[in-house]
Amino acid sequence: MFDPIDFLNYLINGALVGLLYALIAMGFIVIYRASKVFNFAQGELVVFGGFVVWWMVIQTGLPLVVALPLAMVMSALFGLAIERIFFSRLVGESGFAMVMVTIGLLILIRGLILVLFGPQVRPFPIIFPLKPVIIGDILIPRSLLIGAMITVVVGLGLSWFFNNTRAGLKMTAVAEDHQVALSMGISVKRSIAFAWALGAVLSTLGAIIYLSGKSLNFLASDIGLSALPVALLAGFESIAGVLLAGLIVGAVQGLVTAYVDPVIGGAVGSVFPFVIMLVILFIRPTGMFGWRTIERV
Amino acid sequence: MLELSNVEVLYSDVILAVKGITLAVPKGSCITLLGGNGAGKSTTLKSISNVLMTEDGKVTSGTISFEGARIDGGDPAKIVRNGIVHVMEGRRVLSHLTVEQNLIAGGHMEPSTQSMRRRLDGVYDRIKRLASLKSRTTGYLSGGEQQMVVIGRALMANPKLIMIDEPSLGLAPMMVDEVFGVLRSLKDDGLTLLIVEQNTRVALDLADFGYVMEDGRIVLEGNAADLRANEDIREFYLGLNLEGERKSYRSIKHYRRRKRWLG
Ligand SMILES: Nc1ncnc2c1ncn2[C@@H]1O[C@H](COP(=O)(O)OP(=O)(O)OP(=O)(O)O)[C@@H](O)[C@H]1O
Ligand SMILES: [Mg+2]
Repeated sequence: MFDPIDFLNYLINGALVGLLYALIAMGFIVIYRASKVFNFAQGELVVFGGFVVWWMVIQTGLPLVVALPLAMVMSALFGLAIERIFFSRLVGESGFAMVMVTIGLLILIRGLILVLFGPQVRPFPIIFPLKPVIIGDILIPRSLLIGAMITVVVGLGLSWFFNNTRAGLKMTAVAEDHQVALSMGISVKRSIAFAWALGAVLSTLGAIIYLSGKSLNFLASDIGLSALPVALLAGFESIAGVLLAGLIVGAVQGLVTAYVDPVIGGAVGSVFPFVIMLVILFIRPTGMFGWRTIERV
Repeated sequence: MLELSNVEVLYSDVILAVKGITLAVPKGSCITLLGGNGAGKSTTLKSISNVLMTEDGKVTSGTISFEGARIDGGDPAKIVRNGIVHVMEGRRVLSHLTVEQNLIAGGHMEPSTQSMRRRLDGVYDRIKRLASLKSRTTGYLSGGEQQMVVIGRALMANPKLIMIDEPSLGLAPMMVDEVFGVLRSLKDDGLTLLIVEQNTRVALDLADFGYVMEDGRIVLEGNAADLRANEDIREFYLGLNLEGERKSYRSIKHYRRRKRWLG
């Protein structure tokens, strides 16, 4: 029987998971905007960030207040290193070459994690208390709720930064047109490097929210894939739009998983975002808020 | 202030687009560089600002110096910081951003928000039209308005020398007058200008001195007044100004030639 409380539960939890996707998608979008690199290794950045946090907290036993900022710094450096080693050499290469490099990067990061942290499944530290938040009959995992708030704050903050500040508009100019940005005296290389650092930091933030109190292994990189439809629905340029897109994709996925999956007996819920993605690609490839080519006649 | 001496520019290691040109832009002057399609005017400006590097081009011989120091092959960001801003051909606005966002991005080198705001007010003051267009998306503005935006954006970088590539391109005569009115006000305020034009008449009206390029070389140079009186110029450039025909060709050309860079 249809129970409105259940419905609300599915809807809210779905939407919160969607906001987590949105955070991961944000990292993807930040990198895409500046460098026009479609980074297939975004999920691997999440896993790498997760392992760094695990290593700092569980292995070296640092308190969270020290370990988390330090993990952020390390991810930023990792992002910078990736840009320097792989992409700064690819100036002028085709988009296809770039995509191939990100796929290579994906494999490489997996190897790197294996070498650095070993193949075992690791327990991820409990960053947010496990006790769920209970509002009436609605049960919400605390990590998702706090994570959602962080995501909204970060999303709106970044959006404001990119649209209003001098430093942010510099990045946005790079997103629009590398040559024009250069003619304005903007260091395109530095902007791209900054974007990779920021993209890696956002991924690590995503890892903390996603993995808090769970176990950590390679499979966590699947979240990068789940974030892709959100980025696409938002359009690759809009940071604020990605919040709304995350809410939509997450809520729909939550409801489909709850109501359609049991009927069909299959995992329609997990495929659904990709169905949305294909539909968007057909009807509006630039997403809801992406930059459409402005053609004046 | 700016000197080019025997500059040669090569694209993709094979196409020699500029074949040894020498020109000087003294401080406070307004110089125009004239010539037909494919003469190498834009390439010359790109070699100065070194946005050339985004098109796989380089200066293979000769020197470019600004205020006594060599700048050829330099970092484009540093060249802007030194005081040269290149307003590229084809009104390259940041099309998804508003007028004000374009201008703020142009003022990214300002040390503080206050000083940037002051510059912004200065630009709105000089180009009144921009003040009323502040929050409009630049991609949807008219050609003339877009030309004003890119000039305003260049001013935000606090330049000593503005190089502007075909500001009259595809504009109605009244708009051309308005754009050149702004350029004249800049000249009157002592800013140094290097203007590339095919609209020879307006350019020579404003400029002190002109160079004419053909096939990568400078074929003629002289005081603006002398050039205006020159028979060849009259015949080949002033006479041969078939607006309509040129316009349609030019709008295609710009998009065809834009190169991929950094992906
Ligand atoms: N990126 C490039 N790669 C290779 N060749 C180029 C490139 N840009 C320009 N050229 C060539 O260099 C020559 C000079 O071009 P340039 O754009 O400097 O001419 P222009 O005088 O500005 O002409 P127009 O008035 O049509 O803008 C032309 O033959 C052109 O085809
Ligand atoms: Mg040109």
